[in-house]
Amino acid sequence: MEAAAVEKSTPTAAAASAVGADVVIETRNLSKTYHDFWGRPKVLALKALDLEVRQGEIFGLLGPNGSGKSTTIKLLLGLLFPTKGQAYVFGKEATNVKNKERIGYLPEESYLYKFLNAEETLDFYGRLFDMPAQVRRDRIKSLIDMVGLQWAKRRQLREYSKGMTRRIGLAQALINDPDLLLLDEPTSGLDPIGTREMKDLILRLRDEGKTILVCSHLLPDIQDVCDRIAILHQGELKELGRVSDLLRVEKVTQIRARGLSDEAKEEIRAVIARHGGEVDGIENPTATLEQLFLEIVQDSEARPGRRAAGASDGKK
Amino acid sequence: MVVEHELLTFLEWLLPSQYGMGALLTFFLVVAILSVLFVILAYIFTSARHGPFEAFYVVAKSIATGVSDLVNTSPRRILAMARLAIMEAVRRKVLIAFVVFLAILLFAGWFLDAQSEHPARLYISFVLTATNYLVLLLALFLAAFSLPNDIKNRTIYTVVTKPVRATEIMLGRVIGFATVATALLAMMCVVSYVFVVRGLSHEHEVVAESVQDKRNAQGDVEGFTGETSLNSHHRHTFEVDAEGVGQTDVQMGHWHQVTTTKGPDGQSVYTLGDPQGQLLARVPIYARGPFPLRFLGRDGRPGDGISVGDEWTYRDYIEGASGARAIWTFQDVTENRFPDGLPIEMTIGIFRTHKGNIERVVRGELEVVNPETGFRSEPISFRPVEFEIFHLDVPRNVRVVDPATQLSRDGDVFEDLVAEDGRLEIWLRCAEPGQYYGVSRPDMYLLAAERSFFMNFVKGYVGIWLQMLVVVCFGVTFSTFLSGAVAMMATLATIILGYFSQFVVGVATRTIEGGGPIESFYRLVTQKNVSIDLEPGIGVKVMQWVDIGLMYLMQAAVAIVPSYGRFGTARYVAYGFNIDPNLLTQHAATCLAYVVAVTVAGYFFLKSREIAG
Repeated sequence: MEAAAVEKSTPTAAAASAVGADVVIETRNLSKTYHDFWGRPKVLALKALDLEVRQGEIFGLLGPNGSGKSTTIKLLLGLLFPTKGQAYVFGKEATNVKNKERIGYLPEESYLYKFLNAEETLDFYGRLFDMPAQVRRDRIKSLIDMVGLQWAKRRQLREYSKGMTRRIGLAQALINDPDLLLLDEPTSGLDPIGTREMKDLILRLRDEGKTILVCSHLLPDIQDVCDRIAILHQGELKELGRVSDLLRVEKVTQIRARGLSDEAKEEIRAVIARHGGEVDGIENPTATLEQLFLEIVQDSEARPGRRAAGASDGKK
Repeated sequence: MVVEHELLTFLEWLLPSQYGMGALLTFFLVVAILSVLFVILAYIFTSARHGPFEAFYVVAKSIATGVSDLVNTSPRRILAMARLAIMEAVRRKVLIAFVVFLAILLFAGWFLDAQSEHPARLYISFVLTATNYLVLLLALFLAAFSLPNDIKNRTIYTVVTKPVRATEIMLGRVIGFATVATALLAMMCVVSYVFVVRGLSHEHEVVAESVQDKRNAQGDVEGFTGETSLNSHHRHTFEVDAEGVGQTDVQMGHWHQVTTTKGPDGQSVYTLGDPQGQLLARVPIYARGPFPLRFLGRDGRPGDGISVGDEWTYRDYIEGASGARAIWTFQDVTENRFPDGLPIEMTIGIFRTHKGNIERVVRGELEVVNPETGFRSEPISFRPVEFEIFHLDVPRNVRVVDPATQLSRDGDVFEDLVAEDGRLEIWLRCAEPGQYYGVSRPDMYLLAAERSFFMNFVKGYVGIWLQMLVVVCFGVTFSTFLSGAVAMMATLATIILGYFSQFVVGVATRTIEGGGPIESFYRLVTQKNVSIDLEPGIGVKVMQWVDIGLMYLMQAAVAIVPSYGRFGTARYVAYGFNIDPNLLTQHAATCLAYVVAVTVAGYFFLKSREIAG
């Protein structure tokens, strides 16, 4: 808790002090200014970012549109060059080609060649890693199975739905079995099931020892999977720390109970009042829509043929 | 004619020799100058961004990375990128270019002059030119738009985030597009060849009524003459000997073999073979050495040829029926090369000071002379065909004149008329007073051999292939830092500059009247033609100074840009001359030099740009 407080108050100092062998990504004073045609500064996309991502963690970059998340990822991949400061990945400069052998990148939208089919796509990217034919074949097969596109592997990507494109995009990011994964909006365009699967996959990959940097503006995604997060706004780092610490509301105590009568609730109110506390509310909790949706779908799959409306009525 | 300049052998051309510093040295010199300029410019640009000290480090580092990238370039990745480029090209329906080509050929009959004097030249230069432009256009579009599209669609993001070097992205594209264009070119080559051969093939029949006996002085029948039917806008006359074997005259650049068989009723049936002599690949041996062509004046003493005021200063003229001679010196004339005597071919320009019968040709004579001993053949008289290639065989056994005694005896070309070191001279004289023969060095040559026309045709296509390769390289390189349309315009500019390099050089060196670009523009706007002097003043001075600067730039640009026109060897094929292997290797080496230099430049452009910027 104390450590979190330190990180919260001085995020830059904390990042700079922790230098170790397990640091996968490190940025120092990383800044990016976009210039117009005449070289005049136009947008300050990123201001003096100090970050550190350690091995084996899921790190979330959070922020509204235009906050500098994508710029950060592009800087880490060498797609952009920093205006000031440095970005290091695996201890080398971000532009170093060698780094990319250990990186998997899922771009914001899956920028893939639409005239290739799933197998050809993965084969192409496999070749870019100089993988021998046999290794490539095995890897492609297991990845296509993993993302569940076995049935559509011979279809050109132009015929793919957004969710399918996302899956094949993920497969291409994993083709080299990377140590570091950079996922830009990994759940965008996915249905709730796909989102759940993606989240599960991210957690599983973390358990395999991979480091994952997720960048998103979908808060539930970040909350569910990330170990640590950084919140960016207008190119500046506003918050950095462990999700569990950041979200803990110190002054509120939550009590959950089952089978209480109204009298009992009144008694509890009285007890709180006696101790000088204030009751914010005593009510029945609601499930999240995500939970509800997943339950309906699971139910429907278990007993096919029933209408979704009926199923949801039955749940209530 | 086809060859206006002396052709050097590949090594003479490549290495320093008496003809100049050699292409290799020139290449390294140009590359060195450009590299230094490149580095200085890169340093200035980087300084503007990072400051002078940091910039030094950045530039040095990117050069070092360049070397390491080159070493680590993987063939598998290049091939993967090339495969992708091919698939992309196929997806962008490049085959349409082939369909367009077929359509052009189908309608060619409408605009190809069927009554041309030289249908073969017309057909061959037509197919080669059509293919040339079409393939260059295709290469231009393929190469210039690919990378910008990838950047625009951001598909490049998933590629450059893999361990791919900029070299591999460049080379992959160059190889991929070159492969596609090569395949198309090969298809076009085959179709064109069929088009030319089929288009020129025709048959004649003999008009039976026209056949007449041919009698000698004693009145004995020694053969027959006759006329053929009118086919493909021409007819021939023919002569056959008593056995019935002979040939037709030359019409529209070809002739036919005539054979005779006996019909069932005992009458002679004449059959004409396929057209001959129009699809050739002659191997000429031109005069070489320190004085390949020299002249004797009308008094018979060494002098120059006469200018007859022709604007084209290519030919020099000798006066007829005077001491004037044009003398070609050939080298390495050996018995092995010409076992049956000397097959001489010449093209002679004729300048008449009086008309007379314009149809009547101006007679000439030539002598074969041993430059060492002065032994000469007796003059061989001939009637040249004006501005056409005229063939003359000097047999091995000739009458030889001894210079000391002026007596003639029977002799042998190689024993008496060729010097020890293989040199031989041919002296040309115009035999008619008041008329002039115009000649240049390549106008007279010894016909060493005739090669396969098909192979020559293919070599013509290789010339196009080389141009295509250079265009692809320029296109890809420009597209590394320009958007698609702009890259295309830039590449097109190099093509235009390359094709009109001679004109641009003319403007830049003031051999073309009218001043530099700004002055010409000023004259154009103010409607002052080149013969009007501009009023002197500060404005005019400034304009001319700026022009001088621009002219240097133009000269530099022309020196760097490939002169595509030179790669084009269509004229050789069309005129029936074998494309010399020396020429082809020189072109190939030049092309390779451009490919390497331009690709390296493209690598640094791609490397130093922000892909997502």
